[in-house]
Amino acid sequence: MQEFIELARKILAEQLDLNPQDIALETNLEDLDADSIDVVEMVMALEDTYDVEFPEEGLENLSTFGALVTALYEHLEKVKNG
Amino acid sequence: MRIAVDVMGGDYGPGEVISGALSWLQESAGSIFLVGRSEEIEAALSGQDYDADRLQVINTTEVIAMDESPAIAIRRKKDASIVVATGLVKQGQADAVLSCGSTGAQMAAALFILGRMEGIERPPIVGGIPNLRGTQSLLIDVGANVDCRPTQLVQFGALGSAYASAVQAIANPRVGLLNNGAEETKGNAAAVEAYGLLKQQPKINFIGNVEGRDLFSGDCDVIVCDGFTGNIVLKAMEGLVLFLAQQTMREIGHLPSIYQAVDYRQVGGAPLLGVKGVSIVCHGSSKSQAIQSGMRIALQCVASRIVEQQEQALGALI
Repeated sequence: MQEFIELARKILAEQLDLNPQDIALETNLEDLDADSIDVVEMVMALEDTYDVEFPEEGLENLSTFGALVTALYEHLEKVKNG
Repeated sequence: MRIAVDVMGGDYGPGEVISGALSWLQESAGSIFLVGRSEEIEAALSGQDYDADRLQVINTTEVIAMDESPAIAIRRKKDASIVVATGLVKQGQADAVLSCGSTGAQMAAALFILGRMEGIERPPIVGGIPNLRGTQSLLIDVGANVDCRPTQLVQFGALGSAYASAVQAIANPRVGLLNNGAEETKGNAAAVEAYGLLKQQPKINFIGNVEGRDLFSGDCDVIVCDGFTGNIVLKAMEGLVLFLAQQTMREIGHLPSIYQAVDYRQVGGAPLLGVKGVSIVCHGSSKSQAIQSGMRIALQCVASRIVEQQEQALGALI
């Protein structure tokens, strides 16, 4: 999971022109000035890397970076395990 | 020339949009795709006189509402009219897409489906402002991005500069930052930071801050602001023109021709810049005439190859 989190952090940091260290699991996405387009772009980049399609249901209700990546990772695991 | 028209957006419903599209069809040799709920489209087409060989109805089952999160909605609603209409441009079946629906959804569709140009984070909408030199200054962004990072304002400057050189044939366009004072330290935090960044761009002819009263002087070719400010400026201008038109009618009984040139109801639409396709954003309150004008703008954008021209000019700037 750590690898997944680090990649998500790197992608989001690049998009927002931030240092990856500025994004902690408990960081609120709003505090990063990340809007829904930023979130969707990060999700799409992860989809390309992991060749998976993440569901968008509930994405807008996840307020922290940690909650977002955890939800995505859980879906990835579910797909992997059939 | 083939235009994909998203008929589901707009305050007046599909009938008004279709009426404008049919008027454009009559005056042009182009063809149109009417994208939306087919039963509503067929109902609006019923009894109308048009060349059926140049019109195709594409049925869609979903619509993105104004209050939905645009980016999420674009992913979730694959059969939304703006998604399908933008897809026609991406697939090469249409040359341009036009919509008067949710601006956020249209921007997100353009970004995710058409793709962005290199170095551009978010596509802004460019609007033309008449000026005292008899030309048009460009105001960018007039509504696509309500919150902008300073780096995005710099990109808007680069895009506006590229558009002014490519489409208006202006050599070394003068770029200004809309602000509440001329001094470098004026404005909110984003404006102050954007000023510093713009000043450092060797390939952008940045002339400093521009105040609201100077918008119409023609001293600046490209005026940069966030979409929140730009949209308020644009609509304040539109309201002022309507106010002055009514007052003028009362006082002298007719309207000088200048009013036609600044009447937003006749302007139609404006292109999203920085994306790899022509996407024309129309007012939500567009009536038939404005839609027709928006389609003329789409035609101009395609004919002047604004996408290729921007990419070329942008390559030299960024």
